[in-house]
Amino acid sequence: MEIYLPIAEVSVNWPLLILLGAVVGFVSGLFGIGGGFLMAPVLIFLGIPPTVAVASQASHVVASSTSGVIRYSGQGAVDFRMGAIMAAGGAVGAIGGVELFRYLRLLGQADLVVSVSYLVFLGAIGLLMLYESLTEILRRVRGEVAPHKERRRPLWLYGLPWKVRFPKSGLYISAIPPLGLGIFAGVLSAIMGVGGGFILVPAMLYALRMKAGVVVGTSLFQIIITTAVTTVLQAGRNQTVDVVLSTLLLLGGVVGAQMGARYASRFKADVLRAALGLIVLLVGIQMGLELFVRPSDIFLIAPGVADG
Amino acid sequence: MIQAPPPPPAPILAPAPERSVGTVGDLRVAAALTNARVEVDSSFRGASIVLYGAVFNPTDDPTDVVVVVRGPDAPVRLVKKTRNLGVWLNSRPVLFEGAPGFYMTASTRPLSDVAGFGQLRRLGVGVDHLRIDAPEESRTVTRYGVRDVVISRLGEDYLDWRRAVIRLREAAALYNTDPDGVTFVDRGLFRAEVELPATAPTGEYHAEVWLFRDGEPAGVSNLTLRVEKVGFERDVYEFAHRRPWTYGVLCVLLAAGIGYLASRVLGRR
Repeated sequence: MEIYLPIAEVSVNWPLLILLGAVVGFVSGLFGIGGGFLMAPVLIFLGIPPTVAVASQASHVVASSTSGVIRYSGQGAVDFRMGAIMAAGGAVGAIGGVELFRYLRLLGQADLVVSVSYLVFLGAIGLLMLYESLTEILRRVRGEVAPHKERRRPLWLYGLPWKVRFPKSGLYISAIPPLGLGIFAGVLSAIMGVGGGFILVPAMLYALRMKAGVVVGTSLFQIIITTAVTTVLQAGRNQTVDVVLSTLLLLGGVVGAQMGARYASRFKADVLRAALGLIVLLVGIQMGLELFVRPSDIFLIAPGVADG
Repeated sequence: MIQAPPPPPAPILAPAPERSVGTVGDLRVAAALTNARVEVDSSFRGASIVLYGAVFNPTDDPTDVVVVVRGPDAPVRLVKKTRNLGVWLNSRPVLFEGAPGFYMTASTRPLSDVAGFGQLRRLGVGVDHLRIDAPEESRTVTRYGVRDVVISRLGEDYLDWRRAVIRLREAAALYNTDPDGVTFVDRGLFRAEVELPATAPTGEYHAEVWLFRDGEPAGVSNLTLRVEKVGFERDVYEFAHRRPWTYGVLCVLLAAGIGYLASRVLGRR
């Protein structure tokens, strides 16, 4: 049941990869996220070189996000104008991110940056989500009424130039904040191999105050574009995309994603968010731990100079 | 293990291209591989190749056979983790100009019994003696804007780095020492197995079959072995390297297409 991966140059158990794709796809369908942050650590654990893992799973994110966007756009829940502006930023960020990643990899510091980004971003987002959803659950259990939230956007959002109307999101704001968010997500997508949905969704909800109904669909739309650009760049610049690996992953992934989306309606939203927050936090801690644990061998083979 | 820190390996002693060379009287060794070409396809999980050969020994003096298989040379970059303020960080990469991607020895007895230290070092036989290219003095090279330190073979930490390369490669089953890997199946007729792991690099491998008598090399037979990707694996690999941008676009289209199909087929409610 082993298959030799032509770019990763290792042989792996293929049913295991399909299963992994399905499990991550299920989680991603359940929570409406790309799921890249779960996939990379497992692939690296299976012995796939980190650079190939990060680059190949981006196309898994493309597939699951595509099926997600089709579902959401059918419900009219995608703000394409907002998505396009964020995607333009995402493409710029991805170009910079791939170059940055290439440089760090040659410097031998790529794994440090990956670990730190996982620890910082996943740790912070996980804690926030967990805190926010747990207080909501507690409130619901005690039967209290949620305090009225201030629905005011930060004032600086209005001071910026290039205002654009986003009817679907119910916004009339400058194009700069969405563009900046997109750039940030693009850099993350190249370095961590993730779509960035776990950062974009809270930012769109709490900073931009977009209509909640269009947030997930729009973030998925921007993720498709960003990860597609990342995949092409990783393939063109670093030759680290393994099509056999990514196809195996996404075969399981698309099935899992659809299953997950169906199960999502059976759970309460705050419970789902608490579970996701916990998963995000645990992955972040796990990836960050290696910074503090004495390595089994203090010498490591660094990638690079493959082509002289 | 070696007691004293071994001096750096001698400069290259090019293996003679002739197939069988007799150096002492009529004492000769001849060898062949069951398979001179290893094909890497999707079912590749490593390969085991049998090397067999014969020793022509007119006298009754005992002889030893040592098989050395070397994979293609490639530069190796290493980093060392150091602890700063409780956090493990990577050092600046250190570069060896060339180390074999695969290296194994198999012999009738432990190598240290077969020949003396100096002899093994001169021939580059054994992982402790294998040649890892390093210049006389350390310098820095800059590639793609990254400064690498090229390790010098006279530097004091050369041995630590060198041992690390060997240790890491041994852990990956790419470097191997088998002190009784050569077995005599009959008088004068021997066999040895070459185990290639799935991570073995592709390219041309050189096998040397040394015949030792009284600790002196008495003959050598040179063989070559090719490990290459074939079929679908090679097509994908070459496509990804020759037309990387087209390959990337196709990967994305494939992914988006599968996502679209899945939502059409499975997304009905």
